[in-house]
Amino acid sequence: MSRIAPFLRRTPSVLMAWRNLGRNRIRTALATLGIVIGVIAIAGLGMTGVALQQQATSNLGGLTNQVSVTSGADSPEDGVTTAQVADIRNLVVDAEVVPQRTDRTTLSTRSGAEQVVSVTALSEASVLYDPVRGATPDRLRAGALIGQETATRLNLEVGDPVEYDDALYRIQGIVTPQQGFGGGAGLVLPQSALDEEPTYDSVTVVATSGSQARAIADAIDAEFNEADEQIVSVTDYASVQENIGSFFSTLNLALLGIGLISLVVASVAILNVMLMSTIERRGEIGVLRAVGIRRGEVLRMILAEAVFLGVLGGIVGAGLSLAIGAVLFAILTDSPWLVFGWSSAQYLLYGFAFAVVASLLSGLYPAWKAANDPPVEALRG
Amino acid sequence: MTVIELESVTKRYESGQETIKALQSVDFTATRGEMVTVIGPSGSGKSTMLNLIGLLDTPSEGTVRVDGRDVTDFSEDELTEERRSEIGFVFQDFHLLPMLTAIENVELPSMWDPDVDRHERAIQLLERVGLGDRLTHTPEQLSGGQRQRVAIARALVNHPDIVLADEPTGNLDRDTGQTILEELTRLKETENIAIVAVTHDEQLMDYADRVVQLVDGRIQ
Repeated sequence: MSRIAPFLRRTPSVLMAWRNLGRNRIRTALATLGIVIGVIAIAGLGMTGVALQQQATSNLGGLTNQVSVTSGADSPEDGVTTAQVADIRNLVVDAEVVPQRTDRTTLSTRSGAEQVVSVTALSEASVLYDPVRGATPDRLRAGALIGQETATRLNLEVGDPVEYDDALYRIQGIVTPQQGFGGGAGLVLPQSALDEEPTYDSVTVVATSGSQARAIADAIDAEFNEADEQIVSVTDYASVQENIGSFFSTLNLALLGIGLISLVVASVAILNVMLMSTIERRGEIGVLRAVGIRRGEVLRMILAEAVFLGVLGGIVGAGLSLAIGAVLFAILTDSPWLVFGWSSAQYLLYGFAFAVVASLLSGLYPAWKAANDPPVEALRG
Repeated sequence: MTVIELESVTKRYESGQETIKALQSVDFTATRGEMVTVIGPSGSGKSTMLNLIGLLDTPSEGTVRVDGRDVTDFSEDELTEERRSEIGFVFQDFHLLPMLTAIENVELPSMWDPDVDRHERAIQLLERVGLGDRLTHTPEQLSGGQRQRVAIARALVNHPDIVLADEPTGNLDRDTGQTILEELTRLKETENIAIVAVTHDEQLMDYADRVVQLVDGRIQ
C-alpha cells in the first residue's frame, strides 16, 4: 500500500475509494463475489454456447459436399420420380447422383436373434459406403451390404445370407456409411429389391466441394420449384449450417439472458452495499464537505469505490470464466486454446464491461445522495 | 481586522407546525489574532451560530460577511470554496478519517487540488503540534490529545482566516485539554487567525480574549 500511495496521491478519489474498501474487507469481498458470479454467468454461458456450436459444426464436417433431394410439399407424387432423377442427372456435372428407396425390416438369424434395421435400396454403393470387410461395388446389382454395427450384433459375416421380402441376398460386404444424408447403416440392397415402388424416397447428390454442393442445390431448386410451389425439397449443408447457427444464437441469447439476470442481481447487491456504506459514513462525508471537499469530489470518490468493486469482480470473474471456458473447449472440441478465439473471448470482454458498467450505474444513486447531503445534516451523522 | 461578521442574523427552523427561532438578531464579529468563546446552555443556539459562522448553513434573515464580502446568498458550491480557503474546523470528537494516516488527514482539505502541494505544509504543521514522529500513524494508533492535534493541523493546512472549534476539549481530560488550548492560543498568534470556540468548559474561558454568552438564541 505504502508503495502505491504516492501514485494514488495524484488520484485522491481512487486513494480514498481504495482505503474505504479496505475498511470492511468482508463486505467488499462479498460484493465482489456477486459481481464475479455475474461475470461468470455471462462469460461462462456465452463461451459454452460457442463451444457447443463449434462442436456441432465440426461434427457436420462430412456433410459439406452433399445435397439431399426429397419430394416437396406441393409435389403430386409421393417421392422423387424417375423423370426428376433424370433431370437432376442432366443438371449436375461432375457429381454423383444416388437415388434411393428406403424401408424397414426385421432381420433374424438362425440363432433366433432379431433386429429392426433400415433398408436402403440403391445401386451406387461405393459413393455412400466405405467397406470394412468384403467389397462395396460401384454398381450394386446382386447381393447385400450390411452395416458394421448390425453385422456385429447379429453375428453376420461376408457370405452369409439375409432374407428380405421373401428373397435371399448374400452379404457382399460389411460397411460403414460415409457421413452425410444418404444411406442408412442397416441393410443395403440393389434397386431391384424395392422397385415395386414407383418413386424414390430421396436422391443424394455428392459433389466435389461445399461450394459446388451449394451451387447444385440452387440449380435444382431453380429447375423444379417456383416461388409459391415446392415440387422438391432441397437440403444442403449450408442451410443445415444456417439452421444450427440460428438455433445456437437463440441458445446464446437465452444463456446471456440468464447471465444478465445474475449481473442485475449483483448490481442490486452493489447498490445495497454502497448505500449502506454511505449511510454509515454519513458523518464522515459531512466532515469532508465541511472542510471544503466539493460535491463532485465526494461523488467521484464514491463512484470510484463502486467501479473498483466492478473492476475487481470483473477481473476475477473473467479469469475464472477463462479457466471454465478452456475446460469446456477441451471437453467439447479437444482444443482448449480455442477459448482464446474471438468468438468465445468476446464474452470475457462483455462480462467485464457489463460488470464495470453495472457497478458504475449502481454507484450513481448512493454517490449522488451522499454528495448532495447538506453538510449540517450529514455532520450530525 | 474583521474576518467574519454576522449582522442581525436570525435562523428559524420549521418543526412540524411550529417555527423554532434558534437565533434572533445576532450581531457578531471576530478579528485576527483573537480567541472568542461562545458559551450558553444547551439549546441556546450555540451550534446554530457556529454552523452559520462556518458557512455550513445559511441564515433565514440577516447578513454574513467573510473578510468583508457578503456571502449570504452564495450557492452551496461557492460556500464550499469559501470553507476550503477561509475556514478551519476542529470538532469535539476529532472527526479524523480512520483509513487515512495522520499526514493524509492533514492534507485532506486540499487533497483534490492537483496544483497545491500541501505535503510540506502538513509535515510542518504536524511537527509544530508535536507529532513530527507520528506522520504515518492512523488515528486509532493515536491518543485523544494527539488526534485533536492532528485535527488542529488539518484545520490550518489551507491557511484559513478563522478556525472554528466545537467543544475542542469536550472529549479530553483536563490536562490534555489544557495543552490543546495552549496549542490553539499559540497558533492564533503565529498564524494570525481568529479562533471561535463553542464550549461548556470553563477552562476554555481562561484562554479566551472575549466571551460571548448566548441565551435563547440571543447574545446577552
